[in-house]
Amino acid sequence: MKSAWKFFASVKLAIVLFILLTLASILGTLIPQGRSAAEYAARYGNLAGLLTSLQLTRLYQSGWYMILLFLFALNTAVCTVSRLGPKWRRAFRPVLDSNPQTLMAMKVKAKFRVPLALAPARDRIAGLLRSRHYRLDDSVRGNGIVLLARKRRLGGFGSDFVHLGLLVILAGGFMSGLGGRRADVALLEGQTADVPNAAFRVRLDKFETEYYPQGGVKDWKSTVTVLENGAPVLTRVVEVNHPLTYRGFSFYQTSYGWDWENSRLELLIRKRDDPAFSKGVSLKVGERAAVDSPEMTHVIVRRFVPDFVIGEGNQVQSRSQEPANPAAMVEAWKGEERVFSGWIFAKYPDFGQGHGANNTALDFVLKGFSPAPFSVLEAAKDPGVKFIWLGCLLVTAGFFLAFYWPSREIRIVLEEVQGKVEVTAGGHAAKSRETFQSEFDKIFESARRPA
Amino acid sequence: MTESTFFTTAFALYAAALIVYFASLFARREKWALLGIALAAGGLVSHTAALILRTVASGHAPFTNMYESLSFLSWAIVVALIVFGRKSRVPRLGPYLMLIVVGLVALASSPLMPKGATPLVPALQSYWLWLHVSVTLLGEAFFAVAFVSSLLYLAADTEEKKDKLDALSYRAVAVGFPLFTLGGLIFGMVWAYRAWGRYWAWDPKEVWSLITWFVFALYLHTRIVMGWKGKRSAWIAIAGFLAALFTYFGVNYLLTGLHSYA
Repeated sequence: MKSAWKFFASVKLAIVLFILLTLASILGTLIPQGRSAAEYAARYGNLAGLLTSLQLTRLYQSGWYMILLFLFALNTAVCTVSRLGPKWRRAFRPVLDSNPQTLMAMKVKAKFRVPLALAPARDRIAGLLRSRHYRLDDSVRGNGIVLLARKRRLGGFGSDFVHLGLLVILAGGFMSGLGGRRADVALLEGQTADVPNAAFRVRLDKFETEYYPQGGVKDWKSTVTVLENGAPVLTRVVEVNHPLTYRGFSFYQTSYGWDWENSRLELLIRKRDDPAFSKGVSLKVGERAAVDSPEMTHVIVRRFVPDFVIGEGNQVQSRSQEPANPAAMVEAWKGEERVFSGWIFAKYPDFGQGHGANNTALDFVLKGFSPAPFSVLEAAKDPGVKFIWLGCLLVTAGFFLAFYWPSREIRIVLEEVQGKVEVTAGGHAAKSRETFQSEFDKIFESARRPA
Repeated sequence: MTESTFFTTAFALYAAALIVYFASLFARREKWALLGIALAAGGLVSHTAALILRTVASGHAPFTNMYESLSFLSWAIVVALIVFGRKSRVPRLGPYLMLIVVGLVALASSPLMPKGATPLVPALQSYWLWLHVSVTLLGEAFFAVAFVSSLLYLAADTEEKKDKLDALSYRAVAVGFPLFTLGGLIFGMVWAYRAWGRYWAWDPKEVWSLITWFVFALYLHTRIVMGWKGKRSAWIAIAGFLAALFTYFGVNYLLTGLHSYA
């Protein structure tokens, strides 16, 4: 037990862990994380199996990385605790006694005599130190007085605050990993949906995409209402960088799209030999619309894709969900006979004519489409996040204390020698020794001068 | 005057500072270094004007693409030089740090970097853009000071020079490390939580900033607790700056991830 404690109290272990964590983390940025087995097989060939079994493809979630982080946490905790006791005693129950010889061995020091009695000399020096915000402890030493003046005592505990903060952050991360829940909720305008693991529902009232005048998306805005037992509780606009938080859940604007499947399409039917003829129909995929003309009785839309592309095996696919190349597969029927079948393109109205099963004297134009937009919100519950912010505060405070709040200590021995008081002083600062030296010199130059 | 006039003026003044600095070094005229600092400070004023004009014209923080962030990083390094330059009493710091500044400004001015101000994508529309990027780059500027002084340490010949350079390197890390932690990691986590709903996603840029953090944590622990100084400390500080540089620059070009804005 004792040797285990000693092992974890060692800074050398911390150094080893810093190096191991660094190397492991680098490895995780070189191997793409969390991809599909097929992608690894294509990329690494025979090595793919090895990488997967060593958990290098989910490195930051792997058991061995967790063990490294756990050892790092244990090391940090034991190191901090084992050094805290002596540090605490030095700061709050310091040894008051000092002697002139040890003080004169310090780097920052002074020795002089003042023509005063012991008590006034002490008061004078104490006053000078207090005016510079030093706190004083004093005690009697033989026929003299020992003074201990200190300021910024908390500065010595900066690293402990940082370490505590890191432990709180690691604990928060652990809680996020175990208790965090997130799910995407896709909503059309007017739709209401359950939030997984929550006792309330959300409704999307409105979804807008704003564009910059020069193109490019400026913002996505989802107006969301929270419903408890069917009754609206609050309505907020959710934007990127402006999530909605309710009962421990946060809702983020993560994605958007159009409900192409249920889009209403506007078709225009024209006759080549009769420019005056023009008939518009409006229908959804799978629906049929009657056309009263000698050539046909009705049209049917079999399929619609927003971004037409011929994919593998000559199959029609949609390359994206953006309306980059909208196309509809249209059929025209005359009773039981199919008179036209082919793809028509909104952006290329002249293309595709004549691809039909039968050549007709008819042109079909995909005039318009009005899909309903939907918004995807991520509903997230993260029980660790409060700890993360607390840890960050502790780390920030700790850095401030460690680097910008250096503790300072001055010890002074006053002794009566030949009717005068001999003053011996030695000082120590944790950091910025030059500024300390100049402060020290100013204090004792004033003390030396006759009042 | 326009932004690009001010930027070019700054470039010219920095280049002049670089020449004067090196002339002072090789001719052993220490007084000339004062002119070097004055030129660098003049460049900084012009550079600041360029950054302000760009902010006003684009309506957003001047570090949303590579050109802008390179410009801001070089600005921050000149600030770090002026903070440390006189006090450190290391005559070589100015010339070599200015070499990095001129290199970065030249890279920013090169045709490789598109200079147009593009409107912000929704994820970047946040005041955390200001806090996260500016504080991080400021921290990295002080890492650059530690980097230069560590390299100079390795090249120094006398103990007196070495002591000064070692102390300077530590002081630069003592400023840079808290800034980097606050700006890069903490503000980064806060912003990621607001924008993406998760404070940490093991994105390559996040991991590399953590790696940079580990290296400088190693620097401080070996130095303060184990008493390492000098050569070994210098090598760690050099590695730390290179990691920071890779986080800032390399990740964008060599690895893919969430931070694919610049």
